Amino acid sequence: MSTLPFLREIFDHCTRGAHLSPEDEPMFSALGANYPAYAEYFAALGFELVRHDREFFYFAPDDPQKTAETLPRIAVFAYILVDHAANQGEPVEDFILGRNFLASTLPHFSLERYAALLRQVDVHDAADLKRVLDQLERIGWMKWLGPDEFRFLRPFHRVFDKCLELSQTSAAPVAASETSAGSESASPGQPASP
Amino acid sequence: MKVNPQTFFNFCAGHIPVLRQLAERQGEISEAEIIRLIRDHASGHEELPETTWRRLRELQILVATEPGSGMYLLAEPVGRLLSYLFDEANPATPQMVRGYIDSLDALGKQMVRAIEADNVTFVGLAFQEINSTLRRIYADLEETQRAVQNEVAGFKVNREQISVRERYRRIVYWMDRFIEPMIEIVRPDGAMAAAFEETERLLHHAREQSLFNDHPALERNLRYLRLVRQHALRVFQECRKELRPLYESLRRASFIAAGAAVALERLQREGLAGWTPDFIVGFAQIQIRHVPGDAAIAMALRRVVEHPPEQAPVIALAGSTETPPALVRQFWLDALPAEVGRSLPIDDLLSWFAERYPQKNTAELVAGFTRLVFHEKFRAEFTEQQEREYSTADGSLRAHPLRLEPA
Repeated sequence: MSTLPFLREIFDHCTRGAHLSPEDEPMFSALGANYPAYAEYFAALGFELVRHDREFFYFAPDDPQKTAETLPRIAVFAYILVDHAANQGEPVEDFILGRNFLASTLPHFSLERYAALLRQVDVHDAADLKRVLDQLERIGWMKWLGPDEFRFLRPFHRVFDKCLELSQTSAAPVAASETSAGSESASPGQPASP
Repeated sequence: MKVNPQTFFNFCAGHIPVLRQLAERQGEISEAEIIRLIRDHASGHEELPETTWRRLRELQILVATEPGSGMYLLAEPVGRLLSYLFDEANPATPQMVRGYIDSLDALGKQMVRAIEADNVTFVGLAFQEINSTLRRIYADLEETQRAVQNEVAGFKVNREQISVRERYRRIVYWMDRFIEPMIEIVRPDGAMAAAFEETERLLHHAREQSLFNDHPALERNLRYLRLVRQHALRVFQECRKELRPLYESLRRASFIAAGAAVALERLQREGLAGWTPDFIVGFAQIQIRHVPGDAAIAMALRRVVEHPPEQAPVIALAGSTETPPALVRQFWLDALPAEVGRSLPIDDLLSWFAERYPQKNTAELVAGFTRLVFHEKFRAEFTEQQEREYSTADGSLRAHPLRLEPA
């Protein structure tokens, strides 16, 4: 057990809330190669190491009811981005994960509605938005490619998961009626059977 | 009224943009709109818009929705021709295909009666009608497939700003309206297969009864029957394959968008306070503290500075009018020597206490007893008498009688 490589580095990253994806070599490969052993090791310390379906790793929150003040900021930022992508008519996941963005052209202050939502979490201007992006980088959700350019990373799928969960729990009548299009199940997270 | 084909096509050749616009319009269109449309698409040739408008009606390209109405429709045959020319395929609805199947069923029943009555003429006519129906089915299937392909291509290349949820609704409409019900009809054990099998059986029967002697034509019809049946299933399976990936992708995107909208709407409506942790994407955050940072020190100072002052304690300066019980007790003890001095000698001191102070409790009596026994002016001596019991206000005492006399 004690021979697991990069234990300290992985622990340091994950306890800070970071998600480990292919951008985080060699920790990512080490985790991928021997996930059960790492999970068992960290479980003994009281940490749940999660391996996401989209192949990235993170520590599950110990108390979901306890929220640091940065989390609502990240959530509002992400939901606005999803909302904007949907309004453009683009497949949301492709739109967010399939391209590079410029911080200066993000849609977050393009609508007064968005700006009002951001104000509720103390994000007032481009500098505040930049701080949120830095926070996203620290948790492994995005990567700066230049002073202004960045792209989102695989762990951003956690936002999509949360959206699907909210969509399901809100039991929107429109969505419910639309799922009757085929014979597939009503679960939005599951692909329908052909 | 018959329309001269040459005149019709000559007019069409000179007014293609207008005709295209009319073909793209769905439903009724007013006279004013038509005039505006003609003006917007006026070509180089010398013709007044009013003339174009009049010719559109004369050539029966536009027909009034009802006599005297100011609303017009593109004539159905012209619409079909323009759809064909502009490659704008219209999908066949399940109702249309069901209509063909019903038509074949009805024709089949009539053929049974014609075969029983040896009605060669009717069998021949029915044969032609079956052939015609099959060709219409085939053509509609082809058009449906093209319509679906156009729709899918439109979804993929169309960059106009339509929300994901709107796109999803459209694709659901196509799946619901055309593809899924149609597959139900054309599947191997569906209504179309049953009608075709029955038609095939009747055609064979007519040949066996020698009511239809054009054997090559009959064979062609039978082959066509099988071809249409296979083609129908293939077309709609292909259509489903075309739409399915788009449907799945948009379905997931639509649900993701709906979830984000729910979260933002709740934040907008109830503020951050009403935003439960359910809307947050959580992750582990262990905060390990070492030397307190500037922020922590500033916060601690701020808490001290902003700590609300406590109220000073209030001392009750006004004295009570009642004599405290302890003081009363002390006065009684101090007065006892003078009191007992008037009764000396006393053979049984406890008996004296019990009779004189029946309201005193045991503790007070013992205190008074002790004060007198050890008082410098008195001498106390236990007698040889029997042990006795003495009642007090709250109990009793057992003791040998004690004699008290002046020292």
